[in-house]
Amino acid sequence: MTETITQLAGLLEPVLGGVLATAGSAGSPAAAGAAGAGAGPAAGPMWAALIPGLPILGSVLCLLYAVLGIKNKLPAITTVALLAASFVLTAVLFVNHNGQPQVVHLFNWFDLAWGTGKGEHLLAGFAYYIDNLTLLWMLFVTGLAALIALYSSEYMSHDVGLGYCRFFGAFNLFVFSMSCLVMGDNLLLMFLGWEGVGLCSYLLIGYFYTKPAAVAAAKKAFIVNRIGDLGLVLGVMLTFVVFGTVEYAKLFPMMAAGLDGAGRPVADWVTWVIPALLTVGAFGKSAQLFFYVWLPDAMEGPTPVSALIHAATMVTAGVFLIARLYPLYTLDPDLRVLTFVAWSGAITAFWAATIEMAIFDIKRVMGYSTISQLGFMFAGLGLLSPVGAAFHTFTHAFFKATLFLGVGAVMHGFGGQLDLRRLSGVAWMRGFGLVGVAMLIGSINLSGVPFTAGFFSKDMILAQGFTTPNSMIGGASWVAWLLLITAGMTAYYTFRTYFRVYAGPKEFVPGDDAELLDLGRHPKGVSLDEWHKQHGHGHGHGHGHGDHGHGGGHGHGDGHGHGTDFKSSGRVDFDPTTEEFDPHPPGFAMKAAIAACMVLAVLAAGLYFVKAPSLAGSEHGGWVGSMVHNSSAALHVEGLGDAGKAVEFRGASHTTQSFLGLDPHAVMYYVSAGVGLLGILIAAYLHGPKGWQGLFIGSRTVAATSRADGLANLFGPLTTAARNKYYVDEIYNFVIRVPLLVLGHVFHLIDKLLVDGLVNAFGRAPRAAGNAARVGQSGVLNGYAVGMAAGIALLVVLAFMAMN
Amino acid sequence: MLLSLILIPLIAAALVPLSPKRLVRPLALVGTLIPLGLVVWLLGAYSWTKPGGVPTDLAMTVGALPDLGIALSLNIDGLSMSLVALTALLGPICVVGSYSAITARVRTYYGWLLVLQAAMTGVFLARDAVLFYVFFEFTLVPMFVLIALFGSTNRRAAAIKFFLYTFVGSVIALAGIVYVAWFNATVLKGGLTFNIAALVQAGQQMPASTQGWVLLALMLGFAVKVPLFPLHTWLPLAHTEAPTAGSVVLAGVLLKLGTYAIYVLAIPMCPQAAEHYAPFVATLAIIGCIYGGLICWVQTDVKKLVAYSSVAHLGFCMLGMFAFNAAGLQGSILYMINHGLSTGALFLCIGMMYERYHTRNMSEIGGLAKRMPIWATFMVFFTMASVGLPGTNGFISEFLCVMGAFQAGDQLGSFPGNTGGNLGPWYAAVAGTGMIIAAIYLLYMLGKVVFGPLKEPHGHGGHGDHADHGGGHGHEAGHGAHGHDGHAGGLPADLTGREIGVLVPLAALCLGLGLYPKPLMDMVQPAVDKQIATIERVREGKSPKAPPAKPLPAGATSAQAEPADVGAGAGAEMSMTTTTEAGL
Repeated sequence: MTETITQLAGLLEPVLGGVLATAGSAGSPAAAGAAGAGAGPAAGPMWAALIPGLPILGSVLCLLYAVLGIKNKLPAITTVALLAASFVLTAVLFVNHNGQPQVVHLFNWFDLAWGTGKGEHLLAGFAYYIDNLTLLWMLFVTGLAALIALYSSEYMSHDVGLGYCRFFGAFNLFVFSMSCLVMGDNLLLMFLGWEGVGLCSYLLIGYFYTKPAAVAAAKKAFIVNRIGDLGLVLGVMLTFVVFGTVEYAKLFPMMAAGLDGAGRPVADWVTWVIPALLTVGAFGKSAQLFFYVWLPDAMEGPTPVSALIHAATMVTAGVFLIARLYPLYTLDPDLRVLTFVAWSGAITAFWAATIEMAIFDIKRVMGYSTISQLGFMFAGLGLLSPVGAAFHTFTHAFFKATLFLGVGAVMHGFGGQLDLRRLSGVAWMRGFGLVGVAMLIGSINLSGVPFTAGFFSKDMILAQGFTTPNSMIGGASWVAWLLLITAGMTAYYTFRTYFRVYAGPKEFVPGDDAELLDLGRHPKGVSLDEWHKQHGHGHGHGHGHGDHGHGGGHGHGDGHGHGTDFKSSGRVDFDPTTEEFDPHPPGFAMKAAIAACMVLAVLAAGLYFVKAPSLAGSEHGGWVGSMVHNSSAALHVEGLGDAGKAVEFRGASHTTQSFLGLDPHAVMYYVSAGVGLLGILIAAYLHGPKGWQGLFIGSRTVAATSRADGLANLFGPLTTAARNKYYVDEIYNFVIRVPLLVLGHVFHLIDKLLVDGLVNAFGRAPRAAGNAARVGQSGVLNGYAVGMAAGIALLVVLAFMAMN
Repeated sequence: MLLSLILIPLIAAALVPLSPKRLVRPLALVGTLIPLGLVVWLLGAYSWTKPGGVPTDLAMTVGALPDLGIALSLNIDGLSMSLVALTALLGPICVVGSYSAITARVRTYYGWLLVLQAAMTGVFLARDAVLFYVFFEFTLVPMFVLIALFGSTNRRAAAIKFFLYTFVGSVIALAGIVYVAWFNATVLKGGLTFNIAALVQAGQQMPASTQGWVLLALMLGFAVKVPLFPLHTWLPLAHTEAPTAGSVVLAGVLLKLGTYAIYVLAIPMCPQAAEHYAPFVATLAIIGCIYGGLICWVQTDVKKLVAYSSVAHLGFCMLGMFAFNAAGLQGSILYMINHGLSTGALFLCIGMMYERYHTRNMSEIGGLAKRMPIWATFMVFFTMASVGLPGTNGFISEFLCVMGAFQAGDQLGSFPGNTGGNLGPWYAAVAGTGMIIAAIYLLYMLGKVVFGPLKEPHGHGGHGDHADHGGGHGHEAGHGAHGHDGHAGGLPADLTGREIGVLVPLAALCLGLGLYPKPLMDMVQPAVDKQIATIERVREGKSPKAPPAKPLPAGATSAQAEPADVGAGAGAEMSMTTTTEAGL
């Protein structure tokens, strides 16, 4: 360990020296939009490779700790230190970056040539492409990863030992993969990161691997992602075939010029087929449209994982992919794929919001909320506002991480309780004050309360939606209306959770996992799950409002296996005989991480008003806008095939459309603020507690019931359907999984019949004929020979058919 | 030098019956480690990765039967070297991996294992068709014995099926080889020779229709070994019933004999036909990917699942091979190596589990990560290599194979990345679904065996299961293959140092080749270039250089007729493409 630190210090020394030396020249202006033009990007500093390098080192160290049987918090300390160093390096790189893309080349991964011409050399290296878009993403990825690792050091402390090493090993591997995804200088390294984050997601969702629900969720996440990945990999292949390279530095100039690898204009079908294939991958990773089903289930993973991977970073990979390859998406004069993306995003946002309004599991509310917010980001991309999408990704990363970490603190403290009907007034409980404040900050951001970061970023997408002409993005204004309605619903469901769980009278029922706290009590050799089955639902009697306090529409809570984390530390004082349970408030590490995320979520709003010095000419979008404008994701790609189109794009963001006859950019601040506040007021009326905490319009006095119960019953079947995710899982099961499974059985049967059946038939025939001598053996022999002859005959016949 | 690679295991095998029982295992280890050492030396002594670094001074002729045109010649090139290295690596791994599984009849077991090692190495080194065939066939005998004597319950049927199936297949292939030799001797007046290079040249002189029949014969023989759908049905049973080391060798090397033979014999001898029928073979390969994959998903026996996965995986290998471009051919060769490493390792892992629990039934076991965390780590790693996760070796080869198919066709228009050929993006897209299915069945396996609630047949309260197994166990115990009383045979819960030592080199190679495949790719590049050149000549309609003996008018006319044949073939291809789509 000391050696590592010494080595690290040695590596960092020149870097830090470099910062001091170059800090003065950091603000040198750079030519916008010249990404990759000219003689190719400059070589970046080699130490930039440490940004992904340190996490992979952490992963190796965690493996080593597991081998050595380390039973303390060393894995967490290592992880936090390395990820923090990785963040510092990113920050240094950012400060020193002059806006021009740089490439740091390590070694060639794929290097296969079959000629000297264009498109005859498949070259993809471990090389990192550094531009403003990369830095934007890497800043929040490494920063949040370090904070959440700190949080996890306490959250996962019940598992110190092998599980701890496993957790942090996968955590580090995730940051490495994400870095490759974001920083890779070619599509194949991006794909390595893309599947790598999928693997880590699989390993971490399935962290509690004795739970069947967690194992199933992990498998589902991987497979659904893999379906998207097929689209992505085919898109990468087609990109190579058409452009003759997979390296960004060579691709961007060609895409900007609208020329393929042979120097001809890109064929019309290519301009939409490649983006469409890549979009399939993006939708898989970012849980859009038909692919969303894996993300709610992914909430089975430990909460820090949900915060980092399934809210802040990995799921935004789809947004990154489209933003990174925006020059490709805008090649199509009809913008077919972007129109599709806009609509899909808005529909996903709306669809997920309806589910959130009905369910009771607060962690899943956050999960669906992520899907919904990702829908906003995709809509932003589709509505020709990559800035809005990137800004929303950035702000969302912080406020959603805050919200998840807060939910995690509640889970950690209340034995895994996640049902909003069994928790109330948490913010007023001893030790949970910070959590309450953090949740409030996160909630106002998510709801789009004026002057929060979430307000500005969401507003940017909405305003763009009303400005983008319908002639460019079909039905852009409809998309914008749908998003506006969804924004109101978002405010409602966010504050529904807030008013129910964090405000109001103090009241709680500990979760199922409370009984598992003391593992010593359950008989050795019985698995946790059996124990769970026997004892899992037997509590809550001491409280007058447990399972039985409310009527219709319920049925989501228990059967769903929402209690996720087994606590085995025994540090929580819980005695099942008296049903006394002390909530276990978060400790220093968790509080520090929550506080930091909260502060960052607040500060992110300020980015709307500052600009990066390197881009003085950008009209709007603040700091993020200047970052995006100065990268491949810039909408006004210089030298876009049709020069007029670039102008048109620029013009589009100003005056072409209007919102009810007014300038959207001017009026949208007020409209979205009004919609958000309306949603909050409805939530306060329906779910708010009596008194000032419910804004004086709420009436709730107990945890379990509220005015909304009647409303839920009013909608009856619709509510039930929403609580069951509109049965999409069931539909998939019947339409895809079962037919494939049946096909598998049929094939297996054919396989058996083709051989074993014939074998048996021919084996018995001689016996039946009374051929006593060596019946079995020769029969079997004959049978096999015949079985094989049948196979060969089939082939011959097929070959004949092929010949003629 | 090359001969010693074959002779050392053979000598060790000869010494095994004479040695005392306790020396058998060390002897077998030495007999496999020395060839491994030689291979490592060979890899270091020549600069394989540089163009022209292939050794020329190693070719040797052991003996000759001039009357029959047979010269027992051996040689090595990059392709042979990579496969010989794989064989040499798996040798000691199989020996060490069998220490605890095989406790009775050790002499028979290790003796035949060594013979198998020698025969497989011989196949890759032989440069004479008859010698090649002898080695090829001779692998059957040790494998038959290993399955029949040391396999599980149904081993006899499996051994017989394995033997007959592959034997009949290779007899047909021999007929094809003999025909080419006859053609060379009579039509081309090239004299009686079985030299592979000469036969390849002679084969290329054959008229297109003859090439078609010869290709069919060769493919029938070698495709059984691969196995290519629908000739795969011997494989699941043989794999499942074989002892662990047998499965490792079977998956790791024996299947590669088929792909190797197709690569160096079938395609170069009949390039015109191979090019013509590429869509047909590719279609069968893709069917194998999907069909095999879906069957995997409904298995209850974990070993059978992995066995069927070979059918699916080798489909990718064949697809790449018949794309006839750099990506596809490279991918195909890499697939041979990578599949040997990752699937071999999976069989080892499953064998280790079987030694402890004596069941492979996924409904009887589960959640073993709880009991065997080290084993589970390896299992997850090798599964991911098998799934083809980027960063592992599986991805490199799978991506290149599919990429090769994607490039090999210009149905969508002509682009810089096209290489020409009869396949195209549709083949890649359909084969790509095989990648999804691979994830489905392999994660299904992980979810059942490694993760989930702990379930152990011999653990606490699991005594009811004993009765179910009783029959099978008694049967095996009677043969002494498993000298234990139904408990873990003295093995600890998790892996021993020996077992970890067996898996670590494989894991290191899977990762190393996944992150830096360049040395291996450079090593096999000459073989790839050669194959491309052969196919390019056919595509350009040029006849290859004349063989040593002057071709007669018959050969010349056939060469003249080629363009017409190719033209006529175009229509057939179109119809074949439609059948492909309809069939899928």
